[in-house]
Amino acid sequence: MARTDLLQGSLDLLVLKTLDLEPLHGWAISKRIQLLSHDVLEVNQGSLYPALYRLRDRGLIESEYAESEEGRRVKVYSLTKKGRAALKREQASWRLFAGAVEAILAAG
Amino acid sequence: MGAWRWLRRRWDVLFRKRGVEAELDEEIRTHLDEEIRQNVQAGMSPAEARRRALVAFGGVERHKEEVRNVRGARVLDDLVQDVRVSFRSFLKAPAFLVAVLLTLGLGIGANVAMFGILDASLFRPLPYPRADRLVMGRVTWNGRVGRTVSGPDFFDYRQQSSSFEDLAAYTPFVLRATVTGGGAPERVRYIYASTRFFRALGVEPVLGRGFAPDEGELGGPRVLILSYGFWQRRFGGDRDILGRSVTIAGIPFTVVGVMPRDFRFAVDVDIWVPLQRGGAWAQARQFHNFILVGRLADGVSVKQAQADVDRISESLAETYPETNRNKGLNLTPLKEALAQPYKATLGVLVAAVAVLLLIACGNVAGLLLARGSARRSELAVRSVMGAGRSRLARQLLTENVLLALGAGVVGIALATWLQRGILAFVSMDRLTPVKAGVSLPMLGFALALSVLTVVIFGALPSLRVARVEPGADLQSGTRTTGGRAATRARNVLVTGQVALTVVLLVVSGLLLRTLRELRGVDLGFDPDHLLTAAVQIPSTKYPTSASRVEFFRELQERVAALPGVEGVGFITRLPVRGSGGNVRVDLPEHFGTAGVFGKMADQRTVMPGYFHAMGIPLVAGRDVSLVDDSAATPVVVISKALAESLFPGEDALGRTVGVDVGEAEPARFEVVGVVGDVVMDHPANGPYPAMYFPYPQAAGTGLDIAVRYSGNAGAATTSVRGVLRTLNTDVPLDEPATMHDVLGRSLSGQQAIAVVVSLFGAVALLLAAIGMYGVLAFQVSRRTHEIGIRMALGASGGAVVSSVVRGGLLLVALGLLVGIPASLFAARLVGGLLFGVGATDPVTYVGVALFLGAVATVACMLPAYRAARTDPVVAFRTE
Repeated sequence: MARTDLLQGSLDLLVLKTLDLEPLHGWAISKRIQLLSHDVLEVNQGSLYPALYRLRDRGLIESEYAESEEGRRVKVYSLTKKGRAALKREQASWRLFAGAVEAILAAG
Repeated sequence: MGAWRWLRRRWDVLFRKRGVEAELDEEIRTHLDEEIRQNVQAGMSPAEARRRALVAFGGVERHKEEVRNVRGARVLDDLVQDVRVSFRSFLKAPAFLVAVLLTLGLGIGANVAMFGILDASLFRPLPYPRADRLVMGRVTWNGRVGRTVSGPDFFDYRQQSSSFEDLAAYTPFVLRATVTGGGAPERVRYIYASTRFFRALGVEPVLGRGFAPDEGELGGPRVLILSYGFWQRRFGGDRDILGRSVTIAGIPFTVVGVMPRDFRFAVDVDIWVPLQRGGAWAQARQFHNFILVGRLADGVSVKQAQADVDRISESLAETYPETNRNKGLNLTPLKEALAQPYKATLGVLVAAVAVLLLIACGNVAGLLLARGSARRSELAVRSVMGAGRSRLARQLLTENVLLALGAGVVGIALATWLQRGILAFVSMDRLTPVKAGVSLPMLGFALALSVLTVVIFGALPSLRVARVEPGADLQSGTRTTGGRAATRARNVLVTGQVALTVVLLVVSGLLLRTLRELRGVDLGFDPDHLLTAAVQIPSTKYPTSASRVEFFRELQERVAALPGVEGVGFITRLPVRGSGGNVRVDLPEHFGTAGVFGKMADQRTVMPGYFHAMGIPLVAGRDVSLVDDSAATPVVVISKALAESLFPGEDALGRTVGVDVGEAEPARFEVVGVVGDVVMDHPANGPYPAMYFPYPQAAGTGLDIAVRYSGNAGAATTSVRGVLRTLNTDVPLDEPATMHDVLGRSLSGQQAIAVVVSLFGAVALLLAAIGMYGVLAFQVSRRTHEIGIRMALGASGGAVVSSVVRGGLLLVALGLLVGIPASLFAARLVGGLLFGVGATDPVTYVGVALFLGAVATVACMLPAYRAARTDPVVAFRTE
């Protein structure tokens, strides 16, 4: 299981996608990414938070307080409408980018 | 909605910092707790679980910092920290701080002071309503703009032109007369102003009214208008002043108005008297005594008005070919016309302070570069500790801005003081009065200037410094590398400073020599120990020629009898003290041939003994005498130059000359004497052809008196005053002053500009010398290692000194190379202010070069000696 460092932009994209599925709090998001990637990607958990705040600043996600199962106060993040649109856009451009890279690598 | 949220978040970040921090703390703690819980569930011990969780999270503090960065909480924090760090580093290097603040503050202060003067005198509008509609009318001769217009011409322009709402005239020279009655006799200043004068300016009297039309006609009621100051001073602000009678020169006038407190136009006077058509000063078309001021009619441009008056000028030239040929009227916007005589002076001053600022900036830039080099290691440490390059640059920028603000404050503080100094020297009271003081525009200008200068001259050094390489700079040996670019930059700065200083010194040198030349002009009379004053007698007490002659004869006799008096002379106006009025004179047979008649001559009236008292040589013939009275032949004594031009190669004695008095026939006078030429009004104008008429044949009510005394001037004044009082208690001795004082006053303008520019030159020289010293000292300290080696190898102290000095003088030589051509250019620009020296006067240039070289040598000595005293052992140890 290779662990790769993620570029900042890609992290944003992953967070958006993760939240698209359901609203989660910080720790859960990092675990979900790890899970969905089959343990390939282990996000340096701390870098999640700057990304979360950045996305929130841009209006792509929003946060509110909720109670966890243990009765603790947790900040739960969810996608905004703007975030959903951005996710679609970023997904498309990522696929384009990845396809291009793949094409080059496959050549010759 | 997004914007509101954004705003609210910024607010939170800035002002609810603690709350925001606490939230972040809580969030991260929750995250870690979850991770720990999971680890414990997976079977780890609590300690292990915690450790693993922290590792998985990564640096907590670092990520918190990241979040803070993202949220922009940093900005204000950074700023505060930058400011605090800046202050700390300033306090650690107080010499640097003081040097920068003073140097830059001085440069900025001088510029702010000049800006304030310019603003008040040139930029601000004149204090009259709709002042942009006002124009000044001056005569033109063959297209060249002269000065005064004649009375009859003025009345014609006024009548025939439709371009003006109001057209008025005034005498641009101040007249004096004695006011008697209602207090001690007092000399007042007055001018003639036409009836529409105040209306044209748009200013209403604060009491009473302006002049009425009939007061402007010959034989009309004798009225006058008081200035506010005079009204307060002599009449105590009496509200019943209107209709009261005030006696001037023995003639009663009725007061009809008082002008407002701040009113002032062109000259300061106590009284305005209406100009009467055909009356005093306005009798003939060839006597030009007035300047016109007009308010353009609505919708009429200056150009249109000019075309209109040109038309009238042409028709006047046709109707009166003898007096109006080639004569016209020029209209100039009033503000421009009033400022014209000062343009050259103000221009020089503005240029001088700008140069001073550039030199000061050069010094500051050099200081910043030096400091930058010295702080390399400090900055390297900070960069290693995590400050990014942009962060460092931002901190340096903050420092520079703080320096700029500090210098701006110092500049403003100095500005008021400098302004007062400049105004004390260079009087500009023909323009609207300039009061020293800090105005809002000045503050804005100061701020802009200081930020601009520090940003421009500080940015480059800062950027260079921010390009820090921690590795190279933390090692020893920084002083042998990396400082070279900085040194080269500083050398360039010093060379530039020297060049600018050369320009200032050359210009001030030329101005100083002009002053000396003016002071050395041969006046044609002996100005030493000569007391001058004016005596005016009331015409009511002395109505006849005979009574006046008797008065002055008696006065002359008594004053001459005083101990210590070597001579007494009387003349209508003493040379330099005032001008006598020009007349046209020629051989009588030439009169009538239009255009041919006339050489201009200065005319004055004298009592016998004047020439002797003044030390003016009698070249031929005789002095005037009391025998030349109204019953005898009209005679005149003329100056040598006039005799030469009227009777070239011949003897002038016994010949008859004709003087144009505005009538069909010239007045004829027999030449009975020829005297030496005399400077008649200003030393710069040189001697002027003059005619002296005998007082008994033209006995006016006022004469200037000149007394050649020995001993103390004050004592002489008191004695003369005493004599005068015994003759008539109502007649004061007006404005006594020694001839040297009078000369000084007439040269005060030139003296002022010379002194002020020289002061700037001296300051510039000081700054440049300091800059040079700084550069050389720095170079020496950098090359201690090398110098140590050389000395260990046997180089003598003298050799080291000379090598350092040579380095400095090379900079000076380069500076001269650039500065001399620049000075030539600048000198040509101030050519109009020079007298007796040319713009390329070699003595001045060589003198400046030598002077600069001497000062530079001294500035180089100190670091040179320090270099020579280098202990080779110590040198080896330092890097």
